[in-house]
Amino acid sequence: MMKPTGVIFFPAFDWAISPTHPEREERLLYTRDQLFEEGIMDLPHIKEYKPELASFKDVLRVHFCVPSVEERIIEAHLVAAGSALKLADAFLAGEIKNGFAIVRPPGHHAMTVSHANRGFCDINNEAIMIEYVRKKYGIKKVAIVDTDVHHGDGTQEIYYNDPDVLFISFHQDGRTLYPGTGFTSEAGWGRGYGTTINIPLPPRTSDEGIHYVLDNLVLPILEDFKPDLVVNSAGQDNHYTDPLADMCFTAQGYALLNKKLKPDIAVLEGGYSVETALPYVNMGIIMAMAGLDFSNLKEPDYSQNRLRNGSSHLDYLKKLVEKQLFLYRNREEVVNKQYAENKNRFYVEQKSIFYDTEYLYEMQNNKLRLCPECQGYRVIESTARHRDGITYNVGCISIPVNCCRNCHDEARAVYIDMQEKARYDMVYLQDRIDDRYYSFHVQKGIEKVW
Amino acid sequence: MLIGIDIGGTYTDGVVYREGKIIKTAKKPTLYEEIDVSLLAVLDDLIKDMDVKQVKRLVISTTLVTNLIATGRGERTALLLLPGYGLPHDLYRIGDDTYFLKGSIDFRGREIEEIDEKEVIECIEDIKKKGIRRVAIAGKFASRNNLQEKKVQDLFHKHYREALTVISSKVANRLNFPRRAATAYFTAMTLKEWEGFVAQIRSALQERNLSCEVFILKADGGTTPLDLSVFTPCETVFSGPAASTMGGKAITMDDKNAVVIDIGGTTSDISLLIEGNPLYASKGAVISGFYTHIHALAVKSVPLGGDSLIYLQDGSIDVAPYREGNAACLGGNRPTVTDVFNVKYRLNVGNAASSVKALQELALLAGMELDRLCDKVVDIVISRLTEAIKNMFKEWENEPAYKVWEVVNGRRFKPDRLIGIGAAARAIIPVLAEKMDLPYLVHDHSPVANALGAAVARPTLTVNLHIDTAQGVCMVDPGGIRQQVPRSPAFSMEEARKIALNFLQEIGKKRGMEDYLEDYRFYKEEQFNMIRGWDRIGKIFEIELQVAPGFIKEYRGVI
Ligand SMILES: [Zn+2]
Ligand SMILES: [Zn+2]
Repeated sequence: MMKPTGVIFFPAFDWAISPTHPEREERLLYTRDQLFEEGIMDLPHIKEYKPELASFKDVLRVHFCVPSVEERIIEAHLVAAGSALKLADAFLAGEIKNGFAIVRPPGHHAMTVSHANRGFCDINNEAIMIEYVRKKYGIKKVAIVDTDVHHGDGTQEIYYNDPDVLFISFHQDGRTLYPGTGFTSEAGWGRGYGTTINIPLPPRTSDEGIHYVLDNLVLPILEDFKPDLVVNSAGQDNHYTDPLADMCFTAQGYALLNKKLKPDIAVLEGGYSVETALPYVNMGIIMAMAGLDFSNLKEPDYSQNRLRNGSSHLDYLKKLVEKQLFLYRNREEVVNKQYAENKNRFYVEQKSIFYDTEYLYEMQNNKLRLCPECQGYRVIESTARHRDGITYNVGCISIPVNCCRNCHDEARAVYIDMQEKARYDMVYLQDRIDDRYYSFHVQKGIEKVW
Repeated sequence: MLIGIDIGGTYTDGVVYREGKIIKTAKKPTLYEEIDVSLLAVLDDLIKDMDVKQVKRLVISTTLVTNLIATGRGERTALLLLPGYGLPHDLYRIGDDTYFLKGSIDFRGREIEEIDEKEVIECIEDIKKKGIRRVAIAGKFASRNNLQEKKVQDLFHKHYREALTVISSKVANRLNFPRRAATAYFTAMTLKEWEGFVAQIRSALQERNLSCEVFILKADGGTTPLDLSVFTPCETVFSGPAASTMGGKAITMDDKNAVVIDIGGTTSDISLLIEGNPLYASKGAVISGFYTHIHALAVKSVPLGGDSLIYLQDGSIDVAPYREGNAACLGGNRPTVTDVFNVKYRLNVGNAASSVKALQELALLAGMELDRLCDKVVDIVISRLTEAIKNMFKEWENEPAYKVWEVVNGRRFKPDRLIGIGAAARAIIPVLAEKMDLPYLVHDHSPVANALGAAVARPTLTVNLHIDTAQGVCMVDPGGIRQQVPRSPAFSMEEARKIALNFLQEIGKKRGMEDYLEDYRFYKEEQFNMIRGWDRIGKIFEIELQVAPGFIKEYRGVI
């Protein structure tokens, strides 16, 4: 018998950022209506799962929550992330052929350090799932294809120097849309160079344009990368009716995309056209993942007329595809050259990060250990003044799951060192090798371990 | 005096209940083709030498509709679907006479595509030509706007008056198009036959000078007056298992968590009481493999009962999912589950020596000691039952949840006890309870608790409302009522509840359940602000309230 597609539908009917915010209770109401009325969950092709809560530890495997995970994270976040974990478990246990978590709140703008909500996101559902399956099942290579109209800057940042996680995002050009990043020049860091592939699309790109990129860039790269797990960060705001963006993608386009991409796990991200897009796009993705014929799926207001302004932008996209294929294919060469030429122990980078939802600015000093053996650990010094007026200076050390022994020891020593320094309020250590997560309150001298 | 009769698959059971006591019982084999004969045989047994004027109430549970559908004896029925966009139409097909028509409504009840009258008339002509006289009509999102369903029905009235038509919004006005279509389809298929059965009962009662109130037990463990049952025959499916669950509740009458197990001849029906309340099937009754919108109790049937045959399967002992006759101790030829428990636990059922003899013969064939054979059978029986029970807990605990608080306050079912019902309960339940480390109850009246459950069950009613204040409409289930509501954005939950309650009263009174309408509970109260741009343009409310399964007022328990 054919395995079913696992679905978790979690509309969070009792959670909103604020009553009139796009992330409000109503967001998946009509999707609920459509899914229930179609009776798709009753089909043998679908197995509906109940959401579960992720643990704080699952969150800490990815994030440094400032000041603490208990103060930053609410239950709604844990349910959304937990739903992705549940489907990953079902998938890896062989119960389902693939899984789609239709959940909110979303997560792809959440970065390693989480001071507040950014772009409607607090924690990164996909990254939490990926670190979970890497630790629990020893999954090595993962590909994330982010099909949200906004650049998945959070996911990009988390895996920027990780050569085993391929991150591909196509999105409306950052010069015309939040978060203003996702240019081709953002290609990765350290050993992760070339496994971050950005595809900025001109406004009003149509199904044809997006599928050109999919067929000629995304699928060939996936074919070559051979990931153990393919994740679709399944935002739906490329739709032609989305109020926050300006693209011309359709429900059919999204369904076909998933048919070709064959993600193992898809997780809903954005998409704010609650009546005219989400019910149909979500149906389309489920149908495509379940192998059902979706030719009868159509938005009620769909007509060629409405999409006349759309364009495939083929000339532009052809050049873009060539450029990014070149980047990907030559990545190892470039990395080797960089490591050979660079005699420093660390890469250093300063960053400022804007949290739009709560109007917060974070200043970051990033250091990446340039290790000949592994991708190296990261040290992040971060400062931000929170909404309550308190300014936090924190030090964060992140040890990747594929870290070498030397770096592991070195990073743990850095954690002890930083505890001595009075300029930090909190020092955190993310030890993915031992699966231990530490936070140290400098003034009180209290350490907490998860 | 109250009479309850449960027409089950193998036996028809009846009880007479008066002032806390069961004063008479009757049991006859069910004649599959002549359900009315079985019913009247038991009834006559019960009222023999009795002043029929003393009988106040008669409740019947029957498998008639279930059998009709399961054996394909239902009348040929056409299904007209208006499926619009979405899933491939073929997935919605039920039976050979399914038609797909133009016409489409969206989730807000807005018309997307009109029906094509010419196409409908052609379809009517085709149905006429085929000689089909039953028709079910179902449109996607008809529960939000049933105008198109009604238009199609009107065309039948105009062009094919003799056809009996049923529209989906009328039988079930809730979301889930395929379940609505199936409910309408099976309703159209069985309406006339059920009407015939009701007429037969009515005249039989008249002959016997029985002028009491007569009710039919529904799949949700509630009763409906005989006269009203003719509109919704499908509500009577699985009323047998519902009778057992209500029987379990009737003999305990407390608010504990319990597992009710009705061990019959060849099946065991398992249901749950959660704090004393029967658990509903979250997806409705499943008829012939189709989900429907019929409210039903959650019952898991395990093909295993007292009469299940013990036999040799590829050299090893197994329990068959069927019977070949009575247990050996009760005059049968081959050993059954009852014989095994009889021997192992020295229950002295019937002729115990016959149990030993039949099992000894089988043991010889299997090359096993008699003791080992019995142990093995007991193991099989107990492990199949425990597994089914545990799965039921798990299914309930893993029901999808759509709110944060539902996930945070996860469900856990911790049973307080087992309640055994049915003839074989006395033998099997004590062993099962010991294995599950739970107290149990097997009442003296356990063999007829199902009929008792029917006799004293009260009416139930579930009312669902969908209110869209931006459109100014309210849709009601049951009945497919569409009513205007003020378009005021200030519309409050309080007002929504009031409207829902009014409908409960109105519908309840029509169903003659005035005595129970105060005992309602709201099960769902959802409200959504509709924001377009930065403005609130209206609200959507989803309300469900219910008079839950329970007992008539004069029932206080049984001695
Ligand atoms: Zn987005
Ligand atoms: Zn290293």
